[in-house]
Amino acid sequence: MSTDTGKSPEQLYQERLQRLRTAVALGTPDRVPVLPNGPAWPARALGVKMSELATNAEVSGRTIIDAYTGLGEIDGIQSPAYHVSTLSIQWLSRVKVPGKDLPEDELWQVDEAELMIPDDYDAIVALGFGPWVERYYAERLPGSREAFNAWAATIPSVLRECRDRGIVPFSPAVGTIPYEYFCGGRSMKEFLLDLYRRADKVQAAMDAALPVLIESMRGVIRGLGLVGLWLGGWRSASEFIAPRLWERFVFPYFKGMVEAAVEEGAIPVLHFDANWDRDIERLRDLPKGKCVLSLDGKTDIFRAKKILGDHMCLMGDVPPRMFSLGTPGEVTEYCKRLISEVGPGGFILSSGCDVPIDAKYENVKAMVESVAG
Amino acid sequence: MSTSPLAQAMGDLDESGACALVAEKLAAGEATFSILEELQAGMSLVGERFESGEYYLSELIYAADIFKKAGDPLQEGLKSASSNKLGTIVLGTVKNDIHDFGKDIVATVLSSNGIEVVDLGVNVEHEAFVAAIREHKPELVGMSCLLTTAFDDMKDAIQAIEEAGLRDDVKIFIGGGPVDQVCADYVGADFYGRTAQDGVIAAKRYLGVSQK
Repeated sequence: MSTDTGKSPEQLYQERLQRLRTAVALGTPDRVPVLPNGPAWPARALGVKMSELATNAEVSGRTIIDAYTGLGEIDGIQSPAYHVSTLSIQWLSRVKVPGKDLPEDELWQVDEAELMIPDDYDAIVALGFGPWVERYYAERLPGSREAFNAWAATIPSVLRECRDRGIVPFSPAVGTIPYEYFCGGRSMKEFLLDLYRRADKVQAAMDAALPVLIESMRGVIRGLGLVGLWLGGWRSASEFIAPRLWERFVFPYFKGMVEAAVEEGAIPVLHFDANWDRDIERLRDLPKGKCVLSLDGKTDIFRAKKILGDHMCLMGDVPPRMFSLGTPGEVTEYCKRLISEVGPGGFILSSGCDVPIDAKYENVKAMVESVAG
Repeated sequence: MSTSPLAQAMGDLDESGACALVAEKLAAGEATFSILEELQAGMSLVGERFESGEYYLSELIYAADIFKKAGDPLQEGLKSASSNKLGTIVLGTVKNDIHDFGKDIVATVLSSNGIEVVDLGVNVEHEAFVAAIREHKPELVGMSCLLTTAFDDMKDAIQAIEEAGLRDDVKIFIGGGPVDQVCADYVGADFYGRTAQDGVIAAKRYLGVSQK
């Protein structure tokens, strides 16, 4: 099959992959690559029920790919495969699911509660993180592991579908540090108090979990032949915690995961939501020209460029609010500013975190079109 | 005004020190109000350090928890005394959003700064804000959301307050992950707070309390 450009999907895939790799290596490609992200908006845009998108792997893959490729020339999609169970798996939390706990067409929501108790820190050390977490899923989040595994088995076919359509599935798997797991399981307030009142126990549990998470990540990279993967930071953002806590409980663990991913030949996409301004400089300790820092509009991406521009590719950061409430003109103007000030080299244009469910179609299209010419 | 040892311990997040000083003062027969005021002065120190960038959210949360723990033995004494609250806020995460973390932090920090919080919880119906304003007669209303889809619910809740004829009686604060000034203008709020401490400062300003 050839496309209207006269190039085969494989040629387009290679061209787009090269464009992305050039940006990651801090070079300047022929144009700034664009990688939309977010599973909910595609469902809303194509009239697919949120309950289907959230729980039916076949539907989610098709919907995400169709909606984003329908916008114009994109280079790839950050995460073309989605299942709501991923949220329970990575945050050790219950999730309210559309069609089950919520009306069919509403967005899923994490239902934060203290499912993990302080004694679990000791249990993690005693049992090992792997056995502990499997028991946790079975007892406290029943069904989550089974749903996740069934979905994970379908990922290879979604990745093939992307390649067959000439686009790069850039970061279709998600990893994160022990902090994010424990914070989700304990609930944020209790976890932050743990960092003061039982810091040594928390650290011992984190140290037990990290090698297990790294081994699991290596297996996923090899098994799926990943170009890149997300290493997500949400609650571990600089704005939430004191510098000495961040240096102890956050950064060393990201560093360990990033270095292992790079060793495996994958591109770690530091998907960092919320504000990380304070610690941007520290990211210079991560391997040069190998990672992507993906920001959501809360961290100052223009300042980050000044500090990290010669060291790490930046991605982002059209704010969710602009997609929902802004105009195409506003989006275009912001994207042009990103392209000229954060790009054109070492930069990938994307939404800040997800394109939100209620983004206006013309605003998402304006982002994609802004990279042309 | 010099900082008392108790306020200093509170401000320095010295949990055991603050609790021990409260116990000593109670044993010495000091008035519960004056002890509470010292703890609140310590919270002001925490707020100042947050503003200056020395403290972060984790310290605000820890401080509020120390405040609660250290202040717990004072509760009995405070019940029999007249109220010393600065004002009241009705607070909730708006309809169609169940995220409570940001709202809970604001509740904790405001209450440890002398503002009574009526917490309506999450997924709050528009009319529940109206009913709570009628019942509690607050000076302030706070609304939170994490989802952009809840912007319209925030707008509708404020509209409901307007239609009930209560809009001029309250100042409306909003906050939450995707919220910014553009959103505040869109929903018709009086104030957008980026952090919980922004909320404390604005609340005190609206209530006519000096920042010391």
